[in-house]
Amino acid sequence: MRYLLALCAVSVLALVSGCGGDSEAPKTTVTVKEGSSITIALLPKKKGIAYFTSCAEGAEEAAKALGNVTVIYDGPTDGSPEKAASMIEKWTLKGVDVIAVSPNDPSVLAPAMKAAQAKGIKIITWDADAAPDTRSFFINQATSQQIGEAMVDALIKDMGSVEGQVAIVTATLTAANQNAWIDAMKARLADKYPKVELVAIKPCNEDQKIAFQVAQDLMKAYPDLKGIFGISSVAFPGAAEAIKQAGKSGQVQITGLSTPNAMKNYVKDGTVKSVVLWNTKQLGFLTVLVAIAVKDGTLKAGATEFDAGTLGKKPVVGDQVLLNNLLIFTKDNIDQFDF
Amino acid sequence: MMFSFLRTREVAVAGLILLTIIVVSCVNGDFFSGQNARDILIAAAPGMIVACGLTLIIVMGEIDISMGALMGLCAAVLGKLVSADHAALPVWAASFIVLALGAGIGLINGLLVTVGKVPSIIATLGMLTALIGVSDLVMAGSTIGNFPDSLRSFAIGQVGFIPVPVLVAVLCIVACVVLTRYTPLGRRMYAVGSNPHAARLAGLPVQRLKLLAFVLTGALTALATLISAPQLDVIEAGFGRQFELLVVTAVVVGGTSISGGMGTIIGSALGVILLSLVRTVLIFLQLGVSATYWERAIQGGFIIAAVLADHVGRKRGGHS
Repeated sequence: MRYLLALCAVSVLALVSGCGGDSEAPKTTVTVKEGSSITIALLPKKKGIAYFTSCAEGAEEAAKALGNVTVIYDGPTDGSPEKAASMIEKWTLKGVDVIAVSPNDPSVLAPAMKAAQAKGIKIITWDADAAPDTRSFFINQATSQQIGEAMVDALIKDMGSVEGQVAIVTATLTAANQNAWIDAMKARLADKYPKVELVAIKPCNEDQKIAFQVAQDLMKAYPDLKGIFGISSVAFPGAAEAIKQAGKSGQVQITGLSTPNAMKNYVKDGTVKSVVLWNTKQLGFLTVLVAIAVKDGTLKAGATEFDAGTLGKKPVVGDQVLLNNLLIFTKDNIDQFDF
Repeated sequence: MMFSFLRTREVAVAGLILLTIIVVSCVNGDFFSGQNARDILIAAAPGMIVACGLTLIIVMGEIDISMGALMGLCAAVLGKLVSADHAALPVWAASFIVLALGAGIGLINGLLVTVGKVPSIIATLGMLTALIGVSDLVMAGSTIGNFPDSLRSFAIGQVGFIPVPVLVAVLCIVACVVLTRYTPLGRRMYAVGSNPHAARLAGLPVQRLKLLAFVLTGALTALATLISAPQLDVIEAGFGRQFELLVVTAVVVGGTSISGGMGTIIGSALGVILLSLVRTVLIFLQLGVSATYWERAIQGGFIIAAVLADHVGRKRGGHS
């Protein structure tokens, strides 16, 4: 319970603080000792896609700010876990200091990660987690709780009202991530916005045609509908298109979780005011800081807080360092992101 | 003759559609609107187009379950060809390529079944899996956007007051009705389905007729993609997935016998409308959040009830 409360609190802070951070000259309390240098290998699930490239940019920024830090960013271009494993093996032989892994298949990567640990190399995970015995810390970009609450708060803000009917268009009814977000969203609505009524949760079976139709039907069946959550990368644009074609931009608000490129047109034409995602550059930045702290021993098991300099103090829950900075893309900032 | 034709499943399905509209309109008056009818027809258009081809395949005692996956591939290829971020080909050229792709996949399906003698359910199941794999390769886990307006008008444009997808669907239905009822070619297809052995003895080109139906279904699937994929600003990887379930069910609900020889284009088209209604109806009934997990069961129950009611009704009425 205390964990939940803490998360509630920090997610509010995260929303209030918004973007910021990575534009100023980064200063941090994490330092590299004079005369020594550190090499960090950063492994994405898949190299060459915009999401991870932007994470890597943040990692490079951190390396530059600290000096004496080398970041090797490499990964399989086809997302193959076997190739990812062989890269970890290669880096183990080469003797890097830390390997930060975003595992595309934790079980395939586990032997390579354990072998690296046996050689004294520090292993951390970022973006996606692996089994606890294969890494020391996981840099978690956002918990389900934070994502759910950020979406609710964003929609309420866009609606400009704390009452009215809202509906959710989800991926499938069996999608674990989405269901966890929905639980968090329901709790947030009940807790903070009791006059907002959730009238329907509809799956789109990850088919954009169905997402479109469902949103269309929801608007007709509930003429007073004020807002829709499109909580998958398929549901969100599908539902946004339905609002646009129905000429209800501005009357029915929509928000959800997606990458900026998929939503750019809808944000620019005003159908969508807010798109929720975490700050990918900050995720890369924080990963490098944690890597250094794990290497020099300043971040140990049992820590409750991690000082990430310009990014602020980040909570450490168990063996997870939380980024706690969900980003809201709006028409003012969406052009700065290309992924 | 004319009337005995009408006294079949088409009437039953049309009646059910009417009944559904009346009941739901009583519960939620907003259901009964021109806009809603328009949206429902647009949503049903791709299903109706593909059902035209599938009816012919099933009438001849075969089946195709690769349409959803083919739709996904057609959408991916269409996106890559037309998008300003990719090949940026003219829309007419890309449409032509996509139609050829659909017909080509249909041809492979048909050859597997007629020349390869692979049971059609296995051949098209294999094709379904392969096509999903290829689409994933083409999409590479991302989305495709940035389409010219001329492409988008295929799905959201209108001719007069008729939406383009509905117009295309009606044209396909009319063409296939004429084909099945007024041409020797169509009558031969029914002959193949009702008695394949006799058809072969009578010298009908059974294999060629089947091949034709598969090619036609492939091309119609591509056509259905052209009028539905550009409905949205972006094309996602999962496009069309499980679409075959809707079409196969609709064709059977519409009165086409799964063992061949019997069935009409109109019945299949009505079946698609009936099934497309279900999701919309469930939203308009305003069952609330608690009904979320019941939806699939209600959809399935509705389909079973529809077919059952028709069977029972026909036994009482003396028809079988």
